Amino acid sequence: MAIRLSSLISALPGCLAQGIVWGIMALGLFITYRVLEFSDLTVDGSFATGGAVTVMMILGGKPVWLAVAAAMLAGILCGLVTGLLHTKLGIAPILAGILTQIGLYSINLHILGNKANQAVSVDKYRLLLSLRHPGTAILVSGLFAAALIGFFYWFFGTEMGSAIRATGCNPNMSKAQGIDINRTIVVALAISNGVVALSGGLMAQYQGFADVSMGRGAIVIGLAAIIIGEVISRAFTRESMNFALRLLFVIVGGIAYYLIMGVALWLRLPTNDLKLFTALIVAAALAIPNLRSRSFGPGKKNGGKGAADHG
Amino acid sequence: MKKAFTVILCLVMLFSAVACGSSGKDAHSKDTFVVGICQLVQHEALDAATQGFKDALTAKLGDKVTFIEQNASGDSATCSTICNQFVSEGVDLIMANATPALQAAAAATGDIPILGTSVTDYPTALDISEADWTGHTGINISGTSDLAPLAEQADMFPELLPDVHNIGILYCSAEANSVYQADVVEEALKALGYSVKRFTFADSNDIASVTASACAESDALYVPTDNAVAAYPETVRNVAVPAGIPIICGEENIAAGCGIAALTISYYDLGMATGEMAAEILAGADVSTMDIRKAPVTKKYNAEICAELGVTVPDGYVAIG
Amino acid sequence: MVDLKKVTKTFHPGTANERRALNGIDLHLDSGDFVTIIGSNGAGKSTMLNAIAGVWPIDSGSISLDGQEISSLPEHRRAALLGRVFQDPMTGTAADMQIEENLALAARRGKKRGLAWYITAGEREEYRQLLSSLGLGLEDRLTAKVGLLSGGQRQALTLLMATLQKPKLLLLDEHTAALDPKTAQKVLEITDQIVSEHKLTALMVTHNMNDAIRHGNRLIMMNNGQVIFDCRGAEKDSLTVEELMEKFAQCAGGALASDRALLG
Repeated sequence: MAIRLSSLISALPGCLAQGIVWGIMALGLFITYRVLEFSDLTVDGSFATGGAVTVMMILGGKPVWLAVAAAMLAGILCGLVTGLLHTKLGIAPILAGILTQIGLYSINLHILGNKANQAVSVDKYRLLLSLRHPGTAILVSGLFAAALIGFFYWFFGTEMGSAIRATGCNPNMSKAQGIDINRTIVVALAISNGVVALSGGLMAQYQGFADVSMGRGAIVIGLAAIIIGEVISRAFTRESMNFALRLLFVIVGGIAYYLIMGVALWLRLPTNDLKLFTALIVAAALAIPNLRSRSFGPGKKNGGKGAADHG
Repeated sequence: MKKAFTVILCLVMLFSAVACGSSGKDAHSKDTFVVGICQLVQHEALDAATQGFKDALTAKLGDKVTFIEQNASGDSATCSTICNQFVSEGVDLIMANATPALQAAAAATGDIPILGTSVTDYPTALDISEADWTGHTGINISGTSDLAPLAEQADMFPELLPDVHNIGILYCSAEANSVYQADVVEEALKALGYSVKRFTFADSNDIASVTASACAESDALYVPTDNAVAAYPETVRNVAVPAGIPIICGEENIAAGCGIAALTISYYDLGMATGEMAAEILAGADVSTMDIRKAPVTKKYNAEICAELGVTVPDGYVAIG
Repeated sequence: MVDLKKVTKTFHPGTANERRALNGIDLHLDSGDFVTIIGSNGAGKSTMLNAIAGVWPIDSGSISLDGQEISSLPEHRRAALLGRVFQDPMTGTAADMQIEENLALAARRGKKRGLAWYITAGEREEYRQLLSSLGLGLEDRLTAKVGLLSGGQRQALTLLMATLQKPKLLLLDEHTAALDPKTAQKVLEITDQIVSEHKLTALMVTHNMNDAIRHGNRLIMMNNGQVIFDCRGAEKDSLTVEELMEKFAQCAGGALASDRALLG
């Protein structure tokens, strides 16, 4: 069948909606990965937990707002577990996340009523967003994204938020300034996974089902969104950006990722190679800033970071 | 660089805004059709079903039908992206191969006819209660089910293995189809007087150890149409055959790998049945009143393993070729 | 003000790397003492500071600060009572955060951190004045990221952060060692200024014998995890580097040989 531009254009809204929802997931991941400098693998599990809790509550007749709030709460609990495994039991960050993720597999199965998969049809229930109506999906997910960016912008300017940022930046200094880094780590993990679970709940509604394996590979997509967003943002300005803009570009990264997927599908790229394609895109996004800073060409504008007067 | 990105971003926003308003469907002339095939994962059974589907439709419509085949590589989220693409391409029919693909297609459109295949239980997959189920969905979805009559599968136990008492059911806990079949077969086996215990594994890494436990506690095993076991039957065989435990399987390929017998359907035939339904729909039939169809069944046995385990095979069974 | 009683700490006990860093050390500081600490490498100087700060628990003994027993408190709890400046200029501040954010963090040391905004307008004014008293031009760059500052500027900032709330004890762990001589002098000047202004009790570890003699009102020398020499007041002021070397040979039975110590 001939490839026509019009079909790419009509696929765009779906790609945008999916991109924003995953961008929200990446926002959650940003808190642990970039702010706290903690590699949190819990997200593969908490994403599915969010989806499972949302779907089961909707199927149970609860209003969709309550279902989404419950999903967030479940995610917060997931983050708490990883945090406690790390701070109280001294388990390394990556391992703590993996342990929670593994345990969540069984828990998610239980939540789904011991089934691997539960459908929630947009024809039967009032959902916040659905693949059926991409325009509404973009609007709803966009509103959630904006609300979250606003919340984070405020939160990381509070004393608690500032303490979390300091913990990620320099844990030793933070301890010397009286910050209980065990507490800040747990709080950050809880908030992060709460947001990831929220995005899982939105995704489950969007795709019309929750599946116990829906979170598999979530961390890869989240990281891809963050990194692609940063690469794009550097095209706009070389100086470091204000926090709210950085968060916005995380969403942009998610959208970019799904646009690229949409184009790949539209070009009839052999779908067996889709994952390889993803890996190549993320590798390119990671490499671009490194290659730039390595080039020994003339004419850099400033001395870059570190240029300072000596007092 | 900055300008390029700004321009691209604006174009994307603009097009999306426009696209939200438009339906994006092309008017195909009545005699050429485009069919989108969304397959969940690369897998022998699913591949066979897709092939059967294409062959049947091509036999009926020849050059008038073209296919867009996409594979989600096991990612349920990718199913949504693929179905979104089909809708925007304005395909005439969507074939969804496996449950998550079917669910994604159902979410993507309420108008375009959807035919599922390699789905065991439609009411479960689509959240239609058993009380309301009449054999057809009443919405734009129909298809074929790979469910071999489960009670008849249970009957194979007394036929082939008159001396067993404890039966273990082995399957992957992540597969909805397997859970469903396990439920039904367990009922049927209990009704026949057997004591039944379930043994589940979370993913392929645990197959060997769980099979070992199952063999230790049972006289014989039943394995439903489970994709994980279907992918690694040798692992199961290497544990069960030395332990002398016969396995009756939900599907021929699994039996060929590790079992003594199966009430089999051929996924290729299943795909062909789906293709024939597709041809009817493209000719004008109403998908919402079409009942879910099943493929014909055959009793098959694995000669080699039956010989190794000393199982006598009665008449009516065909050897797996 | 500060009392260390028979404090012992051994690292890697029971292994080939076992090292007794603090050997039943006893030390008493009066309020207002500004003590410089010298000794050869491995004498236990930084270890003693880390023990007071609570970086790890001590094996035995007790540490008390202003009458309060602190040996069982975790590091972040003791932080409320202490101010610390480290040898590595990178350690004392958060490089990705702004100058005012760092100062605001220090201002809340020991207090409960809630959901109030991280800084108030009044604080900004206060920080501007404090920074201008340093004379380093930082008062106009409150929103600059600390990572852009030079080593000397960062140490001065860390010093300010350590003394923003008058700490019971100021711990300075070779805080000028990584700076060039001119900057090191400037930072020591600021140190003197702040200590005398707030009448702080301070412990300063240094490898530079000249600095050890010129600053503070008391000097102690450590070796093998113990204090081997302690002098204060006029006796300290009249010390020379050669005398210190001799004293060391007497008390420790070896030469205090270190280029850094000798060449200052």
